[in-house]
Amino acid sequence: MICAARTTGIVFFPAFDWAISPTHPEREERLLYTYDQLAEEGIFDIDGITEAKPDVVGKEDIERVHFLFADFDRTVTPSHLVACGGAVKAARLVMEKRVEKGAALVRPPGHHAMKSVQGNRGFCAVNNEAVMLEWIRSHYGPIRTAIVDTDCHHGDGTQDIYWYDPDTLYISVHQDGRTLYPGSGFPDEKGGGRGIGKTVNIPLPPGTSEEGFLHALEHTILPILEDYKPDLVINSAGQDNHYTDPITNMRFTAQGYARLTELLNPDIVVLEGGYSIQDALPYVNLGIILALAGTDYSHVREPDYDPDSLREDGETREYIKAVCDTALREYFVPSVPLPEPGRFLEREKRIYYDTDCITEHQKESILACDSCPGVRIIKSRSSSRPLSIGVEIPMKGCERCREEGHRIAGESKKSGRYEKVLLIDRCPQG
Amino acid sequence: MIAGIDIGGTHTDAVLVDNGRIVAKSKIPTLHEDLVKTVQRSLTNLTEKKKAGGVTRITLSTTLATNALVEGALETAGVLVCSGPGIDPLKYSIGPAFHLVGGSVDHRGRETEPVDTRELDRAASECREKGVRVFACVAKFSPRNPAHELLLSRRLAPHADFITEGHRLSGMPGFGRRIATAYYNAAVWRLFNRFADAASSTAAALGIGPDIHILKADGGTMPLSESRILPVLSILSGPAASIMGIQALFPVNRDAVCIDIGGTTSDIFFLADGVPLFERGGIALDGRNTLVPSLFSKSIGVGGDSHVRMESGRVTVGPRRLGPAMATGDKAPTLTDALNVSGRAAYGDVSRSQGGIGLLAKQHGADPGRLADEAVSFAANAVAREVERLVAAINERPVYTVRELLHERRLVPERLLLMGGPADCLAKPLGAALGIEAGIPEHFDVANAIGAALTKPTRCIELFADTAIGIMSVPALGVRKAVPAGYTESDAERDAARLLLDRLKTQGVGLGGVEVETTYKSTFSMVEGFSTVGRNIRIRCQVKPGLLYDLVENKKE
Ligand SMILES: [Zn+2]
Ligand SMILES: [Zn+2]
Repeated sequence: MICAARTTGIVFFPAFDWAISPTHPEREERLLYTYDQLAEEGIFDIDGITEAKPDVVGKEDIERVHFLFADFDRTVTPSHLVACGGAVKAARLVMEKRVEKGAALVRPPGHHAMKSVQGNRGFCAVNNEAVMLEWIRSHYGPIRTAIVDTDCHHGDGTQDIYWYDPDTLYISVHQDGRTLYPGSGFPDEKGGGRGIGKTVNIPLPPGTSEEGFLHALEHTILPILEDYKPDLVINSAGQDNHYTDPITNMRFTAQGYARLTELLNPDIVVLEGGYSIQDALPYVNLGIILALAGTDYSHVREPDYDPDSLREDGETREYIKAVCDTALREYFVPSVPLPEPGRFLEREKRIYYDTDCITEHQKESILACDSCPGVRIIKSRSSSRPLSIGVEIPMKGCERCREEGHRIAGESKKSGRYEKVLLIDRCPQG
Repeated sequence: MIAGIDIGGTHTDAVLVDNGRIVAKSKIPTLHEDLVKTVQRSLTNLTEKKKAGGVTRITLSTTLATNALVEGALETAGVLVCSGPGIDPLKYSIGPAFHLVGGSVDHRGRETEPVDTRELDRAASECREKGVRVFACVAKFSPRNPAHELLLSRRLAPHADFITEGHRLSGMPGFGRRIATAYYNAAVWRLFNRFADAASSTAAALGIGPDIHILKADGGTMPLSESRILPVLSILSGPAASIMGIQALFPVNRDAVCIDIGGTTSDIFFLADGVPLFERGGIALDGRNTLVPSLFSKSIGVGGDSHVRMESGRVTVGPRRLGPAMATGDKAPTLTDALNVSGRAAYGDVSRSQGGIGLLAKQHGADPGRLADEAVSFAANAVAREVERLVAAINERPVYTVRELLHERRLVPERLLLMGGPADCLAKPLGAALGIEAGIPEHFDVANAIGAALTKPTRCIELFADTAIGIMSVPALGVRKAVPAGYTESDAERDAARLLLDRLKTQGVGLGGVEVETTYKSTFSMVEGFSTVGRNIRIRCQVKPGLLYDLVENKKE
């Protein structure tokens, strides 16, 4: 019998009966061949690896994270509650110390879902990792966490949710936004308010392969983690950097993903995208699970794996090094100063929900505070809904900010100007 | 008349059933060195006063293959394996003649690397030099495309007495399981066939017809002819005999937990709506998982002979076994002695039990009656906690669709069925520990043999169709043929049922009362780019397991 060096709980939930539409990449078949590979390999026969069933999260678990301005029942389907529930289950197994590592291979993905939800974007409606992390925090307190997003697309949703949060380090390594959806994720996006520097973006050029990704990991991500010293590391493990992925242009491999997992050594892995369902996912998922469990993965490779033909050219390699150096520098010496207390920091955003064809106009402000991350306010109107407002009092919110948050929410309600007034209070008294 | 013979570790039980009535029982010690003689004696005992010619069917539950595997009394089987990428195939190395051969097939059954025939020939000649005559040929994903196993098998055939091809064992996934199962099958083949020869001639000599069946761990039987090529399916059939027996003796149609209390251990089984629960994947033997389908059963180290002792001031029972009870002459007190002292049983010499428990109590300054009660409740609680743990694990079994997850059916045992020696006296404490009412069937002393006698033949097959490639296959039956692009799930379901019934017919299995049911079906549209290129259809169907008929003295609850 094969033994895992680290006990690992896997929540595998392929949602074989759910699709965005019959030929959409996010359809029933997406994890079918992964299931076939994992079952044939006997991954759950490995001593120390156990399979678990997802929890199903409730409305309150979603509303702890998102301002759901869209209609809840129409936007959040049972499959979203199960995907989030799968992530929560993996986290629960780890937090209850029943396993050392947790992985949620669930769909649909979630890392494009932002703080405000007006619909579906980038195949995502709710943010699985954020729902999971805030579930953990609501049960275990404000745990210092790093989310390392290795999906090929910039995780603009996760970045947006944790933009102001100094207790959540968000690092995204992805294909350069000038060449891929959603078009964001540049080194100068580094968080706001007291969260400055706690967002790190490493946009890699098309064609990046094993050497480039591992360079980013070893020279930028790991040193930053070393400095930040998180108590929990979450990996948003998208698999669309693979050289066979139909909607991206990278050249990463199953061996590379496994090595990355081994070096990053996350506590919890949550599957994000990955649409080469026959030629990549079966091998990449296998490699990630074996590496996470501390088991030999040296024989895991694609049938046509040829590292020489995938290698970056010299120019690309130099470019990657430069990008990684910039990202590292921006973390250690953020070129934007901390905000002055008592001032409102403002951002205006236009967000397009490609899956639902909705455009959202958003005005966001945060009340800068010297003793807490500050009250966050989002005023949002979309092409299908009138103006709404969301007010969030953060977990470590100070007494003054808490009162201010409640006052703003109360006045907004009274004013009658908003369709919905949503209040997230993460430090309720008593 | 039909006969059931359960060859157990210590005893061989046999029953003769005529028109739903038990007309004869036999219990003799098992002669491990001569199982054929054991069968012969049991049959003679059963048919003493009747004409053996009236016996139309015999089902044997035999430990032959299990013992050979556990004791390592195996013939050297050559194992040739085509792996391809994935977990290091050397981790599945088994037996003294394990060989890797280059070649690989992917998850859809596409060849991604041809078989390395030079490596194959080298492996074959090494086996030949060692005098190996039986083989297991196994390839990863062979149920999706058996071409590599067939090629290995063809090359080995001139020098082989018997070859097991992995895909003929099962259509289920599990490369490591397939390797172990194929190896075991090849390694017990000769031994089992000798037994089968002797068993048929014994039956023939007694004038019993040719209808001999072998009990399988999945709660079904297979004809002797099939067991000759799939002897591995005969392993660990004992628990299946118990659970089929208890179904015959005490039919329920609700969720139930069944506990067979033995000397060293107790076996725990479950019924969901009265139907026995299956093991996921297949049974484990000798530390290796296999693809042998099996009913779910778990052993716990608490039984009548479990040692009662004090550990850091608390009464403890099991899991070590010290030998039979003091009541029958042993030195250390057991659970049976505790049952005697607590007044629940009167087994053997009760005064010796009192002596033993009394001494233990004195050493620890306790009251003997109280100590005995505590021992009994410790044992009952240990079993109950294990039952609860198992129920929780079963309810945690994964599902893969949103529909199943949201409308899941949970196992909630409402009935406790007990059998085995101390069943009577443990019924109350166990029932109390679990909070469920206990029932004890009559004739439970020969329940296993009754189970064997009354069990129906079963067979399970998997069908895969990939209309993009244009192939339909039923690996276990060696069927693989072209299908048109319009092939649908209902075509597949119909084909699977027909192929299964055809196979039973050619094996001479009477089809009266045989019901085929689909236990799993799924269809996925396969999309390339943004257009559908075909359907991926998966069907699993089986002959519905169960009993040939109910015993007349029982009525359904
Ligand atoms: Zn992606
Ligand atoms: Zn504050």
